[in-house]
Amino acid sequence: MHDPARRLPGEGVFSLLLTGISLFLFYQATQISGFEALSAPGSFPLFSTGCMVITSALVALRTLRLPHSEEHGWQAILPGFVIFMTVLMLFYALALKPVGFLPTSFVFLLIATKVMMRTSIARAALIAALSLILVYVVFRLVFSVLMPEGIVPERELISAMRRLLSGGAE
Amino acid sequence: MKIKLFGAVAALLVAAAPVMAEYPEKDIQGVIQWGAGGSTDTVMRAVTPHAEPMLGAKVVMQNMTGGVGAIATKFVGAQEADGYTLLMGAENPQLYKVMGLGDSDYADFTPINVIARGVPLIVANNDAPFNTFKEMVEYVQAHPNEVKFGSTGPGGLPSVVTAMLTSEVELPVTFVPYDGDGPALTALQGGAIDVMPAVLGAAIEGVKAGRMKVIALVDSAENPALPGIAPITVDYPGYEKFLPWGPFFGIFVKNGTPDEAVSKLVGAYAEAVKNPDFVALIEGRGFSMLNLSGDEARAFLDKWQSVTSWLVYDAGIAKASPEEFGIPRP
Amino acid sequence: MDWTHFFMSWIDPQLLMLVALGTFAGIYVGAIPGLSVTMAVSILISFTFSWEMFDALSLMIGIYMGGVYGGSRTAILLNIPGAPSAIATALDGYPLAKKGLAGEAIGLSTTMSALGGLVGIVVLGIGAPAVSEFALRFQPRDYLLLAILGILLVGSLSGESLVKGIFAGALGLTIGCVGLDPLTAQERFTFGQIELWGGISFIAVMIGLFGVSEALMQLQHVDTAAVKQVIRRIVPEWRSVVKYLPLSLQSSAIGVIIGALPGTGGDIAALMAYDQAKRVTKNPETPFGEGAKEGLIAPEAANNAAVGGAFVPMLTLGIPGDAVTAIIIGAMFIHGLNPGPMLMIERPEMFWFILGALVLATFFMLVFGLTGIRLFVKIVELPRAVLFPLILLLSIVGAFAVNNSIIDVYFMLGFGVLGYFMKMYGYQVGPVILGVILSRLIDDNWRRAIISEQESLPRLFHGIFTSPLSAVLMIAVILVFVSNTPLWAWGKRRLSRGRS
Repeated sequence: MHDPARRLPGEGVFSLLLTGISLFLFYQATQISGFEALSAPGSFPLFSTGCMVITSALVALRTLRLPHSEEHGWQAILPGFVIFMTVLMLFYALALKPVGFLPTSFVFLLIATKVMMRTSIARAALIAALSLILVYVVFRLVFSVLMPEGIVPERELISAMRRLLSGGAE
Repeated sequence: MKIKLFGAVAALLVAAAPVMAEYPEKDIQGVIQWGAGGSTDTVMRAVTPHAEPMLGAKVVMQNMTGGVGAIATKFVGAQEADGYTLLMGAENPQLYKVMGLGDSDYADFTPINVIARGVPLIVANNDAPFNTFKEMVEYVQAHPNEVKFGSTGPGGLPSVVTAMLTSEVELPVTFVPYDGDGPALTALQGGAIDVMPAVLGAAIEGVKAGRMKVIALVDSAENPALPGIAPITVDYPGYEKFLPWGPFFGIFVKNGTPDEAVSKLVGAYAEAVKNPDFVALIEGRGFSMLNLSGDEARAFLDKWQSVTSWLVYDAGIAKASPEEFGIPRP
Repeated sequence: MDWTHFFMSWIDPQLLMLVALGTFAGIYVGAIPGLSVTMAVSILISFTFSWEMFDALSLMIGIYMGGVYGGSRTAILLNIPGAPSAIATALDGYPLAKKGLAGEAIGLSTTMSALGGLVGIVVLGIGAPAVSEFALRFQPRDYLLLAILGILLVGSLSGESLVKGIFAGALGLTIGCVGLDPLTAQERFTFGQIELWGGISFIAVMIGLFGVSEALMQLQHVDTAAVKQVIRRIVPEWRSVVKYLPLSLQSSAIGVIIGALPGTGGDIAALMAYDQAKRVTKNPETPFGEGAKEGLIAPEAANNAAVGGAFVPMLTLGIPGDAVTAIIIGAMFIHGLNPGPMLMIERPEMFWFILGALVLATFFMLVFGLTGIRLFVKIVELPRAVLFPLILLLSIVGAFAVNNSIIDVYFMLGFGVLGYFMKMYGYQVGPVILGVILSRLIDDNWRRAIISEQESLPRLFHGIFTSPLSAVLMIAVILVFVSNTPLWAWGKRRLSRGRS
């Protein structure tokens, strides 16, 4: 949908932002080791950030000269759902460590499904639970990835269950 | 066979854990400082399954790499001292302070087991115009900066071994950095570098196959894995004061962990490292078994830190003097 | 007889089942972004600790082969590569799925993956010692030239604007520098944060740029129904297999060589094969980037050929060809073997066993790949309200799982949002990931090469032009570079005008 001959809302700001970031990173690169030798740890970062500065500036100059696009408003760039999901993920990431993986993920899936599907809470909860069980079995049980536990004492529960099972087997 | 397949699918019923009332009540997390497939990783994954039945819990091992192990060290240091997070590491944290990589080292941790020590040696490309340490020193001095030594960054084994060597003889060489002894030994075989100080275990298969030659065994005694190679101290007795020296592997918990948990872990791992399969793996790779815990382990760690910190400091590759951290000169 | 071990995994029902199980599991491991073969195999080390070695190896080899292939599934169906080696697959695979041709695309990619896999195995079986000696000859300057050849791919991945493509590539190179410099332990772009010492996980960047940003893109149209997939034909016609045979053999050759080089793997191989296909295909039925079958075949053949390639230095010299073979070496140590140059002499049966198991895994990959497609395709037809939250959750867990670090999750989300805006404003995200993949390769080898020549550029160039291997690579770099610049097009126009 991107039309190279028109400037979308926010495109100019974005290109300026990238130029700013590039300049900042270039400055950081000069601080690593200076220009002391061809093999210095800072030489390659200077090259890569230098390329970023030049290209981002070229893009910004070109973009700012383009006429505004009339077809697309902000609505097309950032529809409600995209903003909503981004904010939801941000909250998810912040809550993950203190609250723990299981409750946070369940709430995340529940809200996302409920809002996007416009369905009943019960149905959304069922879908969320099924998705979560799938992810949990694959990552935690099969691949032993220890996600942040938070408020649910997962490791104790699993250990207790394993003991129960092996106790039953003996 | 059926059981095995079922196990592969389900994976959660693996450890047949006996019932325990006290520590450990839940899975233990083992944080490995180095990446999957490296020697620290291999050693830890090989010894831990032997310790699990004695602990009565599963040890879930994870690799947390980066910052020469500093990230894993910091992570374990930030966890609660409850014995449920183990740091599975190598010698690197003992140099963090002098190398300017943070203010933490193994003094903040209680050793569960210092498992084994590696033996350093110096290998060279088969086409290199010298065959012994003496010849190498003469050649290097006659051709300054022409011989390429592999290195793995400041504080890595090659830099320490080189520091040790240069404390007695002058060695004007060019250091080509690699990100591990594996890639450097590969480069050695391809002729990109001429000489590499490495740990015996990493080089032994190449040496046996005649793809590289041993220039010196940096130890005070001959090694059973390399019969007929005299230790460096025969020609250069000056090195005796540093030796035996070598990188090591150990398992640690944060200081302040309850005694009950520490003694349980120490007991389990002390038994596990004696397992014949594990002993065979360690010795087959040219490591020397240590199996140290408690005060013995602490003494080993302190001596190692003192010798090595002053070596790298005197060689001019340290960022800070060991004196600042109260590390005594050996 | 040692070579009888070739058939061991075919005959022994237990081994046969384990290879099948591994391949099946591998396809799903590969398909799920955030689950990687490296991860699966390293967990298998402790898991298969008490097993017989042949059993453990069978399972690992199955997962490896299946996993490299599995990444293409989600790349084609969702435009989310399940594994780094499937990044190039998405470029033309997803447009095919958008046209409702997912079944055909998966069928073709499966066949070509199997073909590539077999080429890799044949090279391993026949030429392993020669290929590994060749791979060892690569000096730092040769790796440098190879990586430069790789970064020139930005030219064909840039989409509408080359400048934006170069920016994206340079951004990737910079991201790859973050952390403690592995060669000098100097901090680079860490802002004093220890969490950044390990760098930004390349998998987290990939999941963010491809997974999250794509999910956000598609959320723009939550209510539109997914494209109905018509599944007419899964097994490709014999005719089209024959037609694409030269291309897939060529791509496989690229795959084997890149795979055999220590330090480079299937991801770079697939991208290079894609670029090569674009160069040699004169008149594709559909333009590249819009669903060209050539653009699907080349990376798929190459990444599976790289599997056989990665085993070449591992079995002949004990040098891992990539991350997975590094872990398999560790597993062999634990099982009492000593992988190294002596392995082929002391335990030749291991070589034959691995060869046989690889062939078997390729066979199962073909079987599982061509069956059950209907079921798999159903996934894309799930309501987006169910699918996308799940993909986002998988992305988060996957980013965390790489290094068990919450920081990676934040980076993943950040790159997800950045990727979204980049896509909206006409930047391609492919060059970013290309930059991240190649950053270390360029930086480390540049420094090694120039240090080896005592910081002298003239000596470096002298070295390049006096070594046949380096000279050939240098010429390739020059040719590719020139063919990407306006000068080339101008020259061609002049030439054709002169003729007419």
